[in-house]
Amino acid sequence: MNGTIPAPTIEYALLAPMLVVFGAAIIGVLVEAFAPRYLRSAIHKPLTLLTLAGAFVITIWQARTGIPTTPSAMGAVAVDGPALFIWGTILVLAFVSVLLINDEGHFVASAAAVPGSAEEERALTEGATHTEVYPLVLFAVGGMLLFPAANDLLAMFVALEVMSLPLYLLCGLARRRRLLSQEAAVKYFLLGAFSSAFFLYGTALLYGYAGSVDLAKINTALGSVGGQDTLLYIGVAMLGVGLLFKIGAAPFQAWKPDVYQGSPTPITALMASGTLVAAFGALLRVFWVALGGLEWSWTPIMWGVAILTMVVGAILAITQTDIKRMLAYSSIAHGGFLLIGVVALGNNQQQNASALSALLFYLVAYGFTTVGAFAVVTTVRDAGGEAWHLSRWAGLGKRRPLVAVVFSLFLLAFAGIPLTSGFFGKYAVFQAAVAAGATPLVVVGVVSSAIAAFFYVRVIVLMFFSDPAADGPSVVIPGGTWAVGAVAVLATVVLGVFPQPVLDLAHTAAQSLFVR
Amino acid sequence: MTSQVPDLWPPSAQEVVFLLLGVVALGSALLVVTTRQLVHAALWLVVCFGALAGGYLVLTAEFVAWVQVLIYVGAIVVLLLFGIMLTRAPIGRSAGLDSGNRVTAATVAVGTAAVLVTVVVQGFATAYTPLEPGGGAAATLGASIFRSWVLPFEALSVLLLAALIGAIVLSRTDIRPANPAADAGGPAAPTTPPHPPDPAPPPADGSGATAGETGSGRVSRDGG
Amino acid sequence: MTTHYLVLSALLFVIGGVGVLVRRNAIVVFMCVELMLNACNLAFVTFARQNGNLDGQVIAFFVMIVAAAEVVIGLAIIVTIFRTRRSASVDDVNLLKY
Repeated sequence: MNGTIPAPTIEYALLAPMLVVFGAAIIGVLVEAFAPRYLRSAIHKPLTLLTLAGAFVITIWQARTGIPTTPSAMGAVAVDGPALFIWGTILVLAFVSVLLINDEGHFVASAAAVPGSAEEERALTEGATHTEVYPLVLFAVGGMLLFPAANDLLAMFVALEVMSLPLYLLCGLARRRRLLSQEAAVKYFLLGAFSSAFFLYGTALLYGYAGSVDLAKINTALGSVGGQDTLLYIGVAMLGVGLLFKIGAAPFQAWKPDVYQGSPTPITALMASGTLVAAFGALLRVFWVALGGLEWSWTPIMWGVAILTMVVGAILAITQTDIKRMLAYSSIAHGGFLLIGVVALGNNQQQNASALSALLFYLVAYGFTTVGAFAVVTTVRDAGGEAWHLSRWAGLGKRRPLVAVVFSLFLLAFAGIPLTSGFFGKYAVFQAAVAAGATPLVVVGVVSSAIAAFFYVRVIVLMFFSDPAADGPSVVIPGGTWAVGAVAVLATVVLGVFPQPVLDLAHTAAQSLFVR
Repeated sequence: MTSQVPDLWPPSAQEVVFLLLGVVALGSALLVVTTRQLVHAALWLVVCFGALAGGYLVLTAEFVAWVQVLIYVGAIVVLLLFGIMLTRAPIGRSAGLDSGNRVTAATVAVGTAAVLVTVVVQGFATAYTPLEPGGGAAATLGASIFRSWVLPFEALSVLLLAALIGAIVLSRTDIRPANPAADAGGPAAPTTPPHPPDPAPPPADGSGATAGETGSGRVSRDGG
Repeated sequence: MTTHYLVLSALLFVIGGVGVLVRRNAIVVFMCVELMLNACNLAFVTFARQNGNLDGQVIAFFVMIVAAAEVVIGLAIIVTIFRTRRSASVDDVNLLKY
């Protein structure tokens, strides 16, 4: 070492969407440090929205100028077709979620004040807010962008943490029912740290096996290293535990209802859409790129996980009486449907591309619908905050028909009724799975869809055919939530009636598959 | 990568040192998990991390060893001790630190350990790497970090910033010290969730309005 | 012999994992997670030695930094909920259940 090292090559233009988001997060921190308190919110809101929109525009522009075929940034990141599609999806979903965050009254006035103390009351009366929420959201979104694009397991681990740590915090910042929110944060944090330790030990074992954490090199090593198969399998299993935890696949789903319920609802929307998309992107990349050559040994396990996830999600959802927990279990069940697509990996390029494009379409469709559903949840309020108990939603169709109709639309889309986006999502994934020979899995999928449809319809019946309570909840729709609802309805209907453009886009993105 | 395996006996000096360190690390790790005294758990953690740092030195990973001492022993455990103090856990024995299923846990542990150890031994029984000095020095590692791993490294710096901001959000009590005298009796507010046997007044929230950012806020920031 | 190191790492990982499941104090649970991360680090450094490249050591270094960030966030969350509930026991975290 003579004190100089060759400079690394970083393709700044390719990484621009991610860099813009991280840069804006850091600017947000500076705003916190230097801008006067009364101005911060007014600066953060447009800054965050413009950043996400700008990053989205850059992503589009990149997709139009041509997709690179080699990994970037010294092999740490692969900006390929699926990654760009996932980036675009995450950015749009994050934009919509931030619109929801912008509306007042979701976040705690002073996180450090003990609930119910005089200090908290003072913070409330002074109208204090935690504007740090915005940079934290941007940090999390930056992590979400890096996670599915990471091309080695180390970058993926760092991205996992960049994505998760701000979310652990944001979970604990709900304005109402603060104890519940803080408990959700503790639970999410401890289980998340536990699962990331598994991810890391799996990475260590794979590193020991292959001599590298680069996904492509691991795949190469599958063919050349012999005699250490048990090591490989245990490593893959542990890595899988870490990734499946983030998706909330059974048997690692225990955190999801608790965390989704306790978190501020806009953050729940962000997690249910953005985190899920990012985690699926990463899961696909690990299992298809690094472990593609090992597919005959992980596919059976993944079958089991998919079946268990769908069944657990659908059946436990029926027993729920809380709207947020019900949506959480619904999200678990949808994770199971998406896992069907992960299993639908075939032997030829064409089959893989069609499975991938089906998954991408499903992620877009589900993401918009779920953000919309949580947006509706924020509008139905009692004196003590959002009305979560299902009985409070009785007769909503008679009191506020529009809200009830919109919510019913989202529920029908979750159920996969034709003319909604959910139908084409499920159809595409099931079709790809049948083509890959996973017909039994599709049968389970259809059955659990039917079970799931039962509880969606039950809520619709409750809203339209029971009498409203005299002291029923009021419906408050702030401007941002209006916009979110409109966007989500538009996306759900348009994707359900004219899915072709997005299907084509997903198909084009999937055509090149992941960069190896 | 691997050369011929020398005889197990007599063990080399490195192996003897490692075995001693390994025994210390294992024993202290077991104590962390079993001790009934919270503070002792943290102190045994120091011993365990120290022994591991020694292990890294034997493996010629100098830089990692010193970072281990600095970050784990110097920062993380200290922070954990602060955490124990701030949550005012009892110094000394505390009952009910474990859930009751010790036997089940031990069985599961032995089973899992057996599987993992078998895997490792099976995979690497013949692997032998001669240990010679060099290779893990800061210069080579730095060159590697700033060349192959530069993007994850930058992401890490972002992570640290996010953690810093997050800790400040959660702990900083002086959102606006407008009328510091107004809530002299604040912390005794009856609405705090009931844990009747706890006689002591809350720690930091009372002083928060007047003393500004003391206590937990400061601690968390030092950790970043 | 690098096998010894890997055995030690596996044992530490299991001890930490069981600790997470058995212990009830959130801070001790977190200590056990740190034990697991250390086990990972030991495995990385050993494999780095065995594979003859430095990547493992770099990763161990990165993991330590991540652990530092994690401990900051974790303790902030735990201390906050303690101030609300006056207890750091995980079993008290029971409002949420299905």
